[in-house]
Amino acid sequence: MIQINDLHFAYPRQQVLFDGLSVKLETGSITGLLGKNGAGKTSLLKLITGLLHSTSGNLSVLGYNPKKREVAMLNDVFLVPEEFYFPPISINDYIRAYSPFYPRFDGEMMDRILIEFKLCAKGYLHKLSHGQKKKFLIAFALATRCRLLVLDEPTNGLDIPSKALFRKILAGSLDENQLVIISTHQVKDVENLIDKIIMLDNGRVIFQQTIAEISQKVSFISETSADVEGAIYTEAVPGGYRLMVPQGDTETAVDIELLFNAITNGKKIG
Amino acid sequence: MQTNQLFSFQRLMLLGKQSFIINKKLIGISLAGFAGVLFMLLLLFLSKSNFSNWGNKEYMITFTFLFFTLGVIYSSLSFPAFRSKEKSITYLLLPATASEKFAFEILTRIVVFLLLMPLLYWVVANLAGAIVNYYVPRFTTYQFSFTQAFSAMADQGMFKGWGKLLFAQGVLFVFIASFAGASHFSKSPLLKTMFTISLIVAGYALFTYLLVKGLNLQAYHPANDRIVFVDSKNDAIAFFAILSTLINLCLLAVAWFCLKEKEA
Repeated sequence: MIQINDLHFAYPRQQVLFDGLSVKLETGSITGLLGKNGAGKTSLLKLITGLLHSTSGNLSVLGYNPKKREVAMLNDVFLVPEEFYFPPISINDYIRAYSPFYPRFDGEMMDRILIEFKLCAKGYLHKLSHGQKKKFLIAFALATRCRLLVLDEPTNGLDIPSKALFRKILAGSLDENQLVIISTHQVKDVENLIDKIIMLDNGRVIFQQTIAEISQKVSFISETSADVEGAIYTEAVPGGYRLMVPQGDTETAVDIELLFNAITNGKKIG
Repeated sequence: MQTNQLFSFQRLMLLGKQSFIINKKLIGISLAGFAGVLFMLLLLFLSKSNFSNWGNKEYMITFTFLFFTLGVIYSSLSFPAFRSKEKSITYLLLPATASEKFAFEILTRIVVFLLLMPLLYWVVANLAGAIVNYYVPRFTTYQFSFTQAFSAMADQGMFKGWGKLLFAQGVLFVFIASFAGASHFSKSPLLKTMFTISLIVAGYALFTYLLVKGLNLQAYHPANDRIVFVDSKNDAIAFFAILSTLINLCLLAVAWFCLKEKEA
């Protein structure tokens, strides 16, 4: 679905950001794109959606070259950017104005998600809070039923109940033909949601594995002491330590934050 | 939904519908505001001329001034999405081809203005004239007619042969230059466009001056048959008509590529 081979990219008059980046993503997954600030997450999302143009390399999204921004591709790609603009119209008007461009737009799903997010269709978009606007945009993105949904920091600005609701709605609104890429540095917000992790650092992919693969290789445990034999990575937390250890008899939930810190500190899990 | 990758009238209509839903209030307020202000302005001008010395020529001068001033400002507001990064993202990812988005901008920013503004002016001018004539019967030249104004211009030979094309392209240049500037410059497009055009004109004038002075061309008087073309006023009009057409096409091409290659 997304095939990136030997991608090179640099902003004008700036250092090279991506120097030979390669990534492959298939449908039916929710992929978490993780990385520190400035790692290149948003730039990669913009390259995937055709908002930026690579210097060289191959980039294929749904079989299209995103640089061309062909209608058939745009019909099937929706980006929820971190910062966005809404015209001063009602939610209903926005849906009337934008939904006809998406052939698979599901009005019933839109209504259902609006109710779940407690958004009134008659409300004016410019009068909503940032979090409410974001919830509306996420609702619209899901209702388009695009095969590729790209969410850039979707939980920024959402309150705690809304974050939980976001996870629930996202998980319940997708089908196996869709791919969701979530870029975030708030890894706790997407835990139990994503099934593949890609980590970027300095414009390079430093880690790319599914949650199932990670679970087969390592476990995440809490101990009162850091002195555990074979521990791959240890981090002090209130009341003790969190450890990443080679997989033993019991399979644990993946602690993405600990995994992220371990990988960015140069640890390997095979 | 058609999946034509080049141009679909259905998607063009969708762009129109979308724009209308988003801007309907603004369009209504702008049209009413323009008509109201124009009406008051014309009443003021009529009163200043003591309701007697105001005829078709004066109406036409006012029209020409407003037509170009408002037209340049309005076409410099083309591609409004390019004024901010957030709007650009939404606009560029909207499922319509660059040709459709480009055609929509040309239609709404140039074609609609060229058709609607004279019509609105004609209605308001005749309304203002009729009202004044009702209260001030000595004001007899209250009817405004474009036909009469253009006939007067035609009588002066402005629309002979290539003159028509030169006139049309000259008018279009003002709008197209402003339109192309709006596609290229994100911030203050009108100022930057005017500055760029001034620089080009000044550069050309300086180059010509240096050429004439440096090569002493003012002393060069070739026989007419040695000049390849442009040896009469008609040829000059034809030359400038073709040149202005080419310039306008180039400016449209610039705007098109700016839209097509735009990044966010």
